[in-house]
Amino acid sequence: MRERPFWASVLFMLGLASAPAVTSAGPDYPPVREGGQIVFPTDTGAHPDYRTEWWYVTGWVSDEQGVERGFQVTFFRVRTGIGDDNPSRFAPRQLILAHAAVADPAEGRLLHAERSERALHPLAGAATGRTRAWTADWSIEWDGARYHSDVEAESFAFDLHFDPAGRRPVLNGENGFSRKAPDPKHASYYYSRPQLAVSGTLRLRGNTHQVKGRAWLDHEWSSETMPPGARGWDWMGINLHDGGSLMAFRMRDDQGGAMWSAGTLQSGSGAPAALRPEQVSFVPGRRWRSPRTGAEYPVEWEIRVDDRRLRLQPLMDDQELDSRRSTGAVYWEGAVRLLEGGREIGRGYLEMTGYAERLQM
Amino acid sequence: MSAALRHVFLASLRRRRLATALSLFAIALGVALGLAVQLIHGAALDEFGRGMRLLAGEADLQVFGPRAGFDDAVYAEIAAQAEVADASPVLEIDARLPGRDISLRIFGIDMFRAAHVHPALMPQVDTAARETGPLAALAADALFLSPAARTALGIAPGEMLAVQSGTHALPLRIAGTVPAAGLGQELGVMDIAAAQLLFGRIGRISRIDLRLKSGIDRDAARRSLAALLPAGVEVLTPETAEAQTSALSQAYRVNLTMLAIIALLTGGFLVFSTQLLAVARRRQELAFLRALGLDRAALIRGLLAEGAVVGLTGGLLGIVLAYGLAGLAFNYVGGDLGAGYFRGLRPALRFDLRPSVAYVLLGVLAGVAGAWLPAREAARMNPARALRAGDEAEVFQSRPRAYLTPACLALATLLCFLPPLGGVPIFGYAAVAFLLAGAVLALPTLVQLSMGFLDGTRDVLWMLARARLAAAPGQAVVAAAGVVASVALAVAMAIMVSSFRHSVDGWLESILPADLYLSASPAATSGFLAPEMQEQVASLPGIAAIRPVRFDTLRLDTERFPVTLIARPVDGGAALPLVGATVTADSPDAAPSAWISEAMADLFAVKVGDVLQLPISGRRVAFHVAGIWRDYARQHGAVVIELADYRALTGDFNANDLAIWLADGAEPDTVAQAIRNALGDDTIKIASPGDIRAISLAIFDRTFLVTYLMEAVAILIGLFGVSTSFAGLATARRKEFGMLRHLGLTRGEIGRLLTVEGALTAAVGTAVGMVAGGAIALVLVEVINRQSFHWSMDIRLPLAGLVIFAGALVLLAALAARLSGHQAMRQSAVLAVREDW
Amino acid sequence: MLDIVGLTKGYEGGAGHPLFTGVSLHLERGECIAIMGESGVGKSTLLNCIAGLEPVDEGSIRLAGAELTTLDDNAFARLRRQHYGFVFQAFHILPHLTVVQNVALPLWLLDRPGREAENLARAMLDRVGLLARADDWPRHLSGGELQRIAIARALVHRPTLVLADEPTGNLDPERAIGVLDLLLECIRDAGAVGIIVTHSRAAAARADRILRLSAHGLDTEVSRP
Repeated sequence: MRERPFWASVLFMLGLASAPAVTSAGPDYPPVREGGQIVFPTDTGAHPDYRTEWWYVTGWVSDEQGVERGFQVTFFRVRTGIGDDNPSRFAPRQLILAHAAVADPAEGRLLHAERSERALHPLAGAATGRTRAWTADWSIEWDGARYHSDVEAESFAFDLHFDPAGRRPVLNGENGFSRKAPDPKHASYYYSRPQLAVSGTLRLRGNTHQVKGRAWLDHEWSSETMPPGARGWDWMGINLHDGGSLMAFRMRDDQGGAMWSAGTLQSGSGAPAALRPEQVSFVPGRRWRSPRTGAEYPVEWEIRVDDRRLRLQPLMDDQELDSRRSTGAVYWEGAVRLLEGGREIGRGYLEMTGYAERLQM
Repeated sequence: MSAALRHVFLASLRRRRLATALSLFAIALGVALGLAVQLIHGAALDEFGRGMRLLAGEADLQVFGPRAGFDDAVYAEIAAQAEVADASPVLEIDARLPGRDISLRIFGIDMFRAAHVHPALMPQVDTAARETGPLAALAADALFLSPAARTALGIAPGEMLAVQSGTHALPLRIAGTVPAAGLGQELGVMDIAAAQLLFGRIGRISRIDLRLKSGIDRDAARRSLAALLPAGVEVLTPETAEAQTSALSQAYRVNLTMLAIIALLTGGFLVFSTQLLAVARRRQELAFLRALGLDRAALIRGLLAEGAVVGLTGGLLGIVLAYGLAGLAFNYVGGDLGAGYFRGLRPALRFDLRPSVAYVLLGVLAGVAGAWLPAREAARMNPARALRAGDEAEVFQSRPRAYLTPACLALATLLCFLPPLGGVPIFGYAAVAFLLAGAVLALPTLVQLSMGFLDGTRDVLWMLARARLAAAPGQAVVAAAGVVASVALAVAMAIMVSSFRHSVDGWLESILPADLYLSASPAATSGFLAPEMQEQVASLPGIAAIRPVRFDTLRLDTERFPVTLIARPVDGGAALPLVGATVTADSPDAAPSAWISEAMADLFAVKVGDVLQLPISGRRVAFHVAGIWRDYARQHGAVVIELADYRALTGDFNANDLAIWLADGAEPDTVAQAIRNALGDDTIKIASPGDIRAISLAIFDRTFLVTYLMEAVAILIGLFGVSTSFAGLATARRKEFGMLRHLGLTRGEIGRLLTVEGALTAAVGTAVGMVAGGAIALVLVEVINRQSFHWSMDIRLPLAGLVIFAGALVLLAALAARLSGHQAMRQSAVLAVREDW
Repeated sequence: MLDIVGLTKGYEGGAGHPLFTGVSLHLERGECIAIMGESGVGKSTLLNCIAGLEPVDEGSIRLAGAELTTLDDNAFARLRRQHYGFVFQAFHILPHLTVVQNVALPLWLLDRPGREAENLARAMLDRVGLLARADDWPRHLSGGELQRIAIARALVHRPTLVLADEPTGNLDPERAIGVLDLLLECIRDAGAVGIIVTHSRAAAARADRILRLSAHGLDTEVSRP
């Protein structure tokens, strides 16, 4: 067993755990500008000049017995601004952080694992041109038709393919320019790939299952997202049963109020429509307190999109990820059902950050 | 029995307080020295091993290369292997700290990797430093210090520390600590990329620590990984790596322990002599007890108990002394007793139960062993005869066993030809033991023979002394055997050290032919002289020529510690202190020449004329062994090649040191100042050969400090032997002295008689000891040193010193005999002769 | 030859009543006396005082006209060397010297040449009937033989005065008389003065005079006819 808290030291040492958001004089990170054009497939690859970037896959799968579980795998790329002038192969210009989790109601809580590395060919990196990020035995890759992700951890592993079946990516915000705050400089380039058909294997505590399901991929890169005064965000990405998708998020201040919210709704096979701040609101419902961190999360929500009242219900309450040891954040990231009028209209993932402490990016 | 034991036997110890105290003290000294050496080295080695294990962390295998490092592309390849679960690259730098006398071991690590393999090296960002931004630990100027290093350097987080790279002093910011580093480890940690850049080692790493996936066979993995590695880079298990390193100081430790054992033996011997005398004096008392019905076994038990009590008390006292000595040594000399094996460690003294108990037991053993022969002697006596007067002389009737001496000597000679066991010259030590035994066994016969030379004497005191010693050589054995043993060992050590020092001195002279030496990296630290620096020095006025020297290490195999590679202009070997035959290359296009040190020749079984494959720059290059040279600096072996060959093979034009020849009339001081002005004061060291020689010899003397101390103790114990045996004898001979007083000898004459006897005894003991010591010195030089450290030396007798030593010893022994007999002289002659039964 | 006048000796270190007082004695050349007395009356002490091995409190000891009580320790030792012979109850023959060497010891002390010393010692051994054992080690000899060697040693250097303290105390009665007779004979032959302290009346009877020592001095007990 390797359940030793080495991540604590890594992240502590990295200073990610409690470093203030204010950056010191670093490299010139390119700003995210309105009107920037996202070009496929080139932009599915990494954008190493930008400060942070992630590929984020969440989804629901069911095995041969019909047991439903959630899974999540994320690859972060961080440009540190350190070692730009160092010819060493170890120069820590880019870091690759990854975590993965499986939500199995039988476990009652998330199984999760993390990896972090400096980008160092061929051991870890994030390729440009098309999606490919990897560290040691974890990877995510776009082969032109499907995504493939391989994750090996102590208590679980998965080897999954995600097939968009020809669906185009959904550009969030204004053609992929996604504002995070009233000040447009807090923004990212952001596209989603909803309704990915999942197939592959999932190993849980030594038992391997053939699984199928639906997944969602987010790819987002930016240099400055969190506005001053922001404490965290709430985000969801739902594959709607009608074939559409709903993404919504809000940036939260210390009082729990929304500093900004936005979303993207695609109904059925219709065109995606960006949701302006006034069109989306998050109303917290039932709360659950984490026995580990003491943080209290609204695990049920009422989401208002225009005049629709949608309810979010978790696959299980305890889907908290104590990631103080990697990205430094404690957050809740879990499989949820979306209901409208008591009827399930979609499934996806909900992410709630900044409930334990201020989220640092 | 217990009452008899208490009142008859143990009470006897109290009655002869002086003798008991001296035996006890001798055993205590032996135990104290032995245990102190054990404790000091134990603690240092523990700390050393802890350091090695700390660095190895949870590694299953470790990939090591030369000190200059190996291509870091190897890391990427190794880390990607299927067997490897985690791989952690390390760049180890012995960083010179400009303006400070110490260097700091800095580990450049990949913190993401180190976290899996050696968590103890994980740095912790100081809270204050964290304000400087995220990812502080990866910053190019961030250095993390272990608590011990922080204490040693007296530097706090946030402050700056200058480290030397090349001839530049570069400031690093102390960004935090390495909290999990052991208390005794002085080290620093920084990001590997930053370290590569800072110390000019881009593309190089020194080590990769590997964790294998579960279920992978370690040996199989080791073999398959080894196949991927370039020449000179080896994959080892951490145990092998630790063993290789600790084996370095093993011979030194064994040697010191042997000295302590000898001190203990001498202590046991002292018990023997005092017990023998006590038995002689108590002969009637013991005979009476036997007559009363005490059986032989009980008598032996009682007498052994006396020895055991002395041994136990001495042992316990020795333990206390040992911890005191060890504490002092840690404070003043260091964990290696000045030998320089464990730099950068802060071992702490702590109670170590097992060796402590073992040494108390050794003390008891010495006491019991010392009491054994006298006890047997006492048990053998005929109570009826012993009850009569005048029988005590029986005890000193020696049973000459001189015929055993040739056997001992033959055996000793034979043992000298056996190879070491596990690197330890066990048989050499056995030969020393047999030489000693042979000398002691020959003693009675030699005493009798040498008394024959005094036949013509007219002085009545000399005649009496001669008659006494010739007729009762047992007495001489008792008093002189201690002298023989201690003189033999002291003389042997003196000859060995003198030969060694003389040889080192000559060696220093031959390896330091230049006028000035400039070093950018003492002890191969992070300093070096780039080619332009070398040119700058060469072009300074007053300098006729410079010769650069480059150091590296080479791993020749997985079994042994790496050898040192020295690249310098050699002049076809003329510039080396060569021993034995040399050969020169037949044709100019033959393989380049290499000159190997004696240690390397021994360890790797290479001889002149052989072809030697040296892994340089990741390739195996064939060299032709042109000669063997003497090297007292590197017992793990060293090989010298021509600087031009090295530069052609590696493209490395840096130098660690420069030997500088001055132009005619140039002042060394002026030139040295000019160099300092040119290169900066802090980052280089300039020394004249005289300075280096003085420092080297000072280090040499410090290394042998403990040896001198132990010698002094051995001599002291030997003199104790003379003193106690004469005190005992004087008591046993009260009646004789009383009669002589009646016959008209003055008190002064009795004193002189004792003095003469003491002097004669000591003279014979010293003479025998000197001869035995000479033989032992030969074994030390030719067998024990050769096998332990693999270096030869020229025997040199410190004649004047030995003569003075011998004279002083005889004088001291005479004085000791006289002082011990003082009590007897004071005693009423009247009472003595009247003491009838 | 030997004149002792008013010799007084107290218990060692003790003031108070003395061990003996007023001991006076006059001995002529060739005269042998026996001193008897109660245990603890100080017979041996008297011998020691005469030998200069214990200081006297009062009185005078003169040997051949020279006053001895004023001599210091070393002077007395040299005097003993020359003029005294001793025979002890426990023989005190040195075990590491041969028989002849033991006998020659007093001559060695007087720096007589080795050859002469040996000849004299052998002659003396012949006198006591042990010449055959001259080169033996003492440990092979019986008690009677050892005491005869002691007698030889006591007389080999022709002393003026021979002191014997219980010379037969460690011998069986038959041997005792023979040894004592030998001692007396040798003393008389040598023209020396002999003082023998003994418990044995039979032994004492062989002397010229028997004196009894008491706290008040020496009294003649029995005169030889």
